[in-house]
Amino acid sequence: MQHLSLFSSYDLLKDTWDEMYSSDFKLRDQYEIISSYLKHTSTDELTKKEDLSKQLFMNQGVTFTVYNDEKGIEKIFPFDILPRIIKHEEWEKIEAGIKQRITALNLFLKDIYHDQFILKDKIIPSELVYSCPYFLREMKNLTPPHDIYVHITGVDLIRNNDGEFYVLEDNLRTPSGVSYMLENREISKRIFPGILPKCNVLSVSNYPNILYEKLKTCSNQPDPNVVLLTPGIYNSAYYEHTTLARLMGIELVEGSDLVVKDHIVFMKTTFGLKRVDVIYRRVDDDFLDPLEFNANSILGVAGIMSAYRKGNVTIVNAPGTGIADDKAVYTFVPDMIRYYLNEEPILKNIETYQLGKPKDLEYVKNNISKMVIKKTDGSGGYGMLMGHEASEKDIEDYFKTVDKNPAAFIAQPILKLSTAPCYIDGQLSPRCVDLRPFAIYGPDGIEICPGGLTRVALKKGSLVVNSSQGGGSKDTWVIK
Amino acid sequence: MLSRVANNLMWMNRYMERGYSILRLLKVNFSANQDSPELFSWTPIIKNYTDVDTSFQTENAIECIEFMIFNLDNPNSIINLVTKSRENARSAQEHIPRELWLGINSYFLYLKDTNLPDKLKQQDPIVFLDRLLNYQLLHYGNIDITQERGAAYYFMNVGKFLERVIQISDFTSMKLMEIAKTSDSLERSFHWKNLLLSVGAYQLYLKKYKSSFQEDYVISVIFQEQLFPKSLYYCVNKLSSHINELILTNELVKNDLEFLLGKLESTIKYTTIENINEQGLENFIESIKQDIRNISMSINNVYFSTKS
Repeated sequence: MQHLSLFSSYDLLKDTWDEMYSSDFKLRDQYEIISSYLKHTSTDELTKKEDLSKQLFMNQGVTFTVYNDEKGIEKIFPFDILPRIIKHEEWEKIEAGIKQRITALNLFLKDIYHDQFILKDKIIPSELVYSCPYFLREMKNLTPPHDIYVHITGVDLIRNNDGEFYVLEDNLRTPSGVSYMLENREISKRIFPGILPKCNVLSVSNYPNILYEKLKTCSNQPDPNVVLLTPGIYNSAYYEHTTLARLMGIELVEGSDLVVKDHIVFMKTTFGLKRVDVIYRRVDDDFLDPLEFNANSILGVAGIMSAYRKGNVTIVNAPGTGIADDKAVYTFVPDMIRYYLNEEPILKNIETYQLGKPKDLEYVKNNISKMVIKKTDGSGGYGMLMGHEASEKDIEDYFKTVDKNPAAFIAQPILKLSTAPCYIDGQLSPRCVDLRPFAIYGPDGIEICPGGLTRVALKKGSLVVNSSQGGGSKDTWVIK
Repeated sequence: MLSRVANNLMWMNRYMERGYSILRLLKVNFSANQDSPELFSWTPIIKNYTDVDTSFQTENAIECIEFMIFNLDNPNSIINLVTKSRENARSAQEHIPRELWLGINSYFLYLKDTNLPDKLKQQDPIVFLDRLLNYQLLHYGNIDITQERGAAYYFMNVGKFLERVIQISDFTSMKLMEIAKTSDSLERSFHWKNLLLSVGAYQLYLKKYKSSFQEDYVISVIFQEQLFPKSLYYCVNKLSSHINELILTNELVKNDLEFLLGKLESTIKYTTIENINEQGLENFIESIKQDIRNISMSINNVYFSTKS
């Protein structure tokens, strides 16, 4: 029996790319198997699968704690059971594009902290770099092992209505979400038994092995001690930190577990002090070393930067990478690719207006209903103004802030994020999605796990996919 | 192993063991209270496990059980103990078997279910308590079958046996206070029987001494029985052997630990019933508790000093 009612209210959004249907409602190849599976599955059964997925997340402890009235409430990150499916040809382009981009960004970081040719050649204005809070003078002339700065990245991509993938953000600091990529896949295996092999879905499960291998080779030591530094149990990504440490078989450490002696980092063990060679840190630059950065930080380790400077420890990602994913610097990434690699960018940038430029500011003010304004140093979807849904007063107030320091803001046209089918209230409905593939850069090159994290704006019509603002996630299948 | 992780594992099991003891105590007292509410009142239990300034008081069995399981202001409510145990396990996930973590997490989620307190009021309380006790047993079963016998295992056991010694001593002290209130020998024997039940030594006692509850025999089962896992003798012995394993593998600095353990071991081994009666059971228990506190402090000083 077929349950066509499931599909009956699937209304394509205007001017928007849909991952499942073409604009004339033809099913895209990659969705054939799952779609026929859905047609033969009752909504009861799908709802049961949805409940099962929630139960699985809870039982595994894939949760974050929300503190409310001093009662800790365990929450799960919303998960939509239907996978987002990408064809292998599309994936190959994404993969090549990300590799190209990260290579250029890494060269940029090396350049900017050494000779600064790109500034001397006036490709990027010096004041942009020097005014950025993420530019760390402490990193000047410091060379990380193998010249690698951005070991781990999670580039955010969106598919525009032309069907092309655009880069939204590069996320070169401490991108999170990779544990959800792994966990979502495990859930898919449970709720769609047999379907994954039938679809030839590329596996993501060896991510921890690749990560560990790459982290190991980041050190000059023959048998390095690799650890993961977490801000601790109250961090919303704590689940991810424990999972990655567990799956790699390395120690999960907190700042207070580490100590620096004679410019060498040690961890405090029951045997005494044990040397640490590589630190995959999930603590922001600012909190890393109270002696050099934020003096009030208790999350970091005093003296860690001096050990780093002496080459006695590798910090992953290197401090100071934030300069390359600043939203104003983002505008110049295509130029970087041309400058350092002499190649045309494979993945497109989103057209970006710098409000520091009077011409751009005027254009944005005149076209505000089609624009989104962001802070150059913002993340997590905070401090944004969405021109199409803001009131006149909101806009006025926002521009008052902008006018104080226009250079700290950029604007982009409001994008048409592509939609993918979600199972909501017993129906399939299109919801906006983005894609965050995870890349790992080691001395032997860059590897990208096929797929990544698809984030989804579960509210109807919403374009904000951030988990802090009502977004959820989906499993991502790259099929061959 | 990181010192912090060692500490996490020890406390994970200390909280679990305390929860286990409290649940047994509640179950035994619930039955006894049905027979004789005057003799087996709830107040001593509440007093023993809460802060001195707690104003909560009840002689209603369900209210007391609810308070001891769900009340968030009660530091030793089962929900608080399991939350703390889970947080310790959570920070040490890469050192414990997956099954162990999943077990604690499901126990935690079961307790956090907002419908659970209602079930306590609707269901038979013994069935309710047994369900929770099963989670506790699952925890110990998981450790037994899945945890490799290395430092992590020994630290867990140090936590478990330290706490068990404290709980057995506490149970006995509580009973002694009740016994002192009455001169009726029948009532006294009820209390001794009740103590045996709470510790879990009742059956063993019957096998050995038949159904006649004499103080000396009860003390000898609870304190000196060599092969019974709930006797002080056994627990101190295990504590000592697990700490020695850690010392042998250089995970633990000897310091004064060996001396403290040796002292406690011989106190329990060589003190006769006559000696105990001479110094008074209360004093004897107090000296054991003091020794345990010193051992616990000594481990803390070696490992978990935040000063270094």
